[in-house]
Amino acid sequence: MENINYEKIGFKAGLEIHQQLDGKKLFCNCPVETNKKEKPDLIVKRKLRAVAGAEGEKDIAALYEEGKDKTFVYEFYHDCNCLVELDEEPINHINKYALEAALQISLLLKAKPVKKIKVMRKIVIDGSNVSGFQRTMLIAENGKIETSKGTIKIPTILLEEEAAKKISTNGKEVTYRLDRLGVPLLEIGTSADIKDPEHAKETAEKIGMILRSVDLTKRGIGTIRQDVNVSIKNSPRIEIKGFQDLKSIPKIVEYEVLRLQHDAPKEGEVRKAEPDLTSSFLRPLPGEARMYPETDHEEIIITNELLKKIKIPELLTEKTIKLENKFNLPSEIAEELIKNKINLENYTKDYKEVSPSLIAQTLITAPKEIRARFHFEPKLKEKDFRFVFENLNRQKIPKDSVIDILVDLAKGKTPNLDNFEKLSDKDLEREIEKIIIENKNAPFNALMGIAMSKLKGKTEAKKIADIIKKFI
Amino acid sequence: MKKIAILHTGGTVSSYYDDKKGGVSTKYTAKDILNLYPEIKHIAKIESRLIQNMWSQDTRFSHYNLLAKEVEKEVKNGAEGVIITHGTDFMHYTSSALAFILENCPIPVIITGSQRSSDRGSSDAKLNLICACQFIVNSNYQGVGICMHESTNDDACLILHPTKTRKFHTSRRDAFKVVNGKPIARVTSQGNVGFIGKHNKSEDKKLKLKLFDDKLKIGIVKVHPNMFAEELLFYKNYDGLVIEAPGLGNLPTTKLDKETIEHEKILDTLKTLAKKMPVVLAPQTIFGRLNLHVYSNQPIYQEIGLLGNHSDMTSETTFLKLAWLLSNYKKDEIPKLITKNFRDEISPRTSLDYLDYVYS
Repeated sequence: MENINYEKIGFKAGLEIHQQLDGKKLFCNCPVETNKKEKPDLIVKRKLRAVAGAEGEKDIAALYEEGKDKTFVYEFYHDCNCLVELDEEPINHINKYALEAALQISLLLKAKPVKKIKVMRKIVIDGSNVSGFQRTMLIAENGKIETSKGTIKIPTILLEEEAAKKISTNGKEVTYRLDRLGVPLLEIGTSADIKDPEHAKETAEKIGMILRSVDLTKRGIGTIRQDVNVSIKNSPRIEIKGFQDLKSIPKIVEYEVLRLQHDAPKEGEVRKAEPDLTSSFLRPLPGEARMYPETDHEEIIITNELLKKIKIPELLTEKTIKLENKFNLPSEIAEELIKNKINLENYTKDYKEVSPSLIAQTLITAPKEIRARFHFEPKLKEKDFRFVFENLNRQKIPKDSVIDILVDLAKGKTPNLDNFEKLSDKDLEREIEKIIIENKNAPFNALMGIAMSKLKGKTEAKKIADIIKKFI
Repeated sequence: MKKIAILHTGGTVSSYYDDKKGGVSTKYTAKDILNLYPEIKHIAKIESRLIQNMWSQDTRFSHYNLLAKEVEKEVKNGAEGVIITHGTDFMHYTSSALAFILENCPIPVIITGSQRSSDRGSSDAKLNLICACQFIVNSNYQGVGICMHESTNDDACLILHPTKTRKFHTSRRDAFKVVNGKPIARVTSQGNVGFIGKHNKSEDKKLKLKLFDDKLKIGIVKVHPNMFAEELLFYKNYDGLVIEAPGLGNLPTTKLDKETIEHEKILDTLKTLAKKMPVVLAPQTIFGRLNLHVYSNQPIYQEIGLLGNHSDMTSETTFLKLAWLLSNYKKDEIPKLITKNFRDEISPRTSLDYLDYVYS
């Protein structure tokens, strides 16, 4: 591939990051559920119409959709949907936990919260919002993050409602699942300061880390989405959505730049990131006149008292470094502990005789090792790990037996500790001597193999080797 | 093409975000609404007028007269149907009032509105308006009806009985249901009309207006635990009173012990009121029919002149019927007329499947 001089071609890129929040929905008391698999309780069919905004203009993107005269089919679930999602009841009061999390993230991004939050309606007529609009509100302005290639400004942080998930299109019928509709969604927009495709990835990673530092941030596939806005000199703005993972950002952006250099469209486009790292046309870029006020919610005043009460959480990177240094851990292990919200300190206090790094390794690496060696997904609970640590602490079992005991526990078996009981040094020497006599003239490796199969789990391999060496 | 007159009276259906007041206000003009829903021009020849721009909860008896006179004007002008766009909160009062006023109504007069304002992409207004047009074009119905969503789906509307319908939900688009009866018909946006209940053949009719006396004062009072006589006495200078009674028609009139001494006063007050004005009972349960012959406390009610035995009218319709009777008939005829059927407001029988048309 040719080497692109991004500065010379007038490369401009900015990110729009959408992050779901956990807990309750933004404007009703339905729980946040985004992954319904069972049959819906109810099917509701609706029509939508493009309506004039407050200034009387109809939005271009809205008109584009209206031309299709669609019927929208909604899959409804009683346990996570109510009349609010069906647009059969005015919204309730805003979820204050989501609002607090949005303010926490704003402060972490060094942004200034607005004094009055006004809930707005953004016209969305593709059916993904039953009401025909998405509620959105500006939370904070003028934030920034530092990157290896300079400061990236974050002009706006918005809190909005997540849209329903599209399930299928069948002729003029489009089916959406309502579980996701109304889930609190943060939208973080950066300025177009990003220097090159690699830099876009770095920026997305940094913002992702900051988001995950807040407790209410939802984890897992689909809970965060990154859109990249790209343009070069004399090209319109192109929005690329649907990146499966951050690693694909540089290549997809690079390919899009090549496309823009050779065959730029006249109008802005929204494009979908494809698995083969290209992008495909989704729809024209929506116009600007698409907001009007939400009449069913009062203005939210952000007082100084409220802001003082907002606790700014420690960043994950800071937490990781602290943990790494305190217990002298490999950084990947520390990172995993923080990511999985495991409090290592609690364990080290309870099991003073076990080294913190052994505890950390057991918690993080052991399940992975079991998966790799025994080909099953171990469902280990905290009490399983505590059983192992307790016995290590009382020196009843050797550390080489940890995996085998965890395998038993994961399979629902009660491990027979006698099999793993630590042999005294004297007993061990006697056992090994016996093996050497029984296998006269056998080389070291063979003796080691026999001894390991007999004494496995009762002592450490290194010890066996040392004793054999002593005798031969 | 049939000629339909649309009379606009305000309500959510003609509401829009008001940037001065914050919140939705009735702001659309007749032309605006027609521009919002251009489809209806393909169904019928539409003439659209603004009568007033108000919330339905502000309705007074004089508004019923005004509206009835406008309907009469349209009938004289040769309209083959009238659609009234209306706020939903008191829509069922208006349908009842117009049904009583418009005697021998020769054309369909369909009242419709919306639960979600017309400025939302998902408003129920469009389907309601289209179905009202389709019903007029594809049927030969005569008289007043309400046209609102059948279910939460945007596929069909029901034509509901003007004197037996009630708003049952604050916000759902299928808030309107028939009480002690069946819907008149089901209409789809494509114009398929299916009649559900009995449907009279159309005949030549000469419209006669029997208007309301807008000076009348009628009250509605709901019976509740720990009631005091003064709550009833408050109405002593009214022209009539409707009492929402629990169960089959029971009132707190029994003195059991010293805790219930007040109930003697309540009975005395009822006696006083019933001498001065018609006092009519209506079922607080909403569904079902009153019967004043079941319990030992009840015989006295008819002796002192309380009315409404065997009625299955809603309290809203009872209220309007009482006002209408007082406006058009002699006071001493009312005990006989209140339970006489004028506009099918009383069902002759109580069918088991009436509730099937409420919420499934």
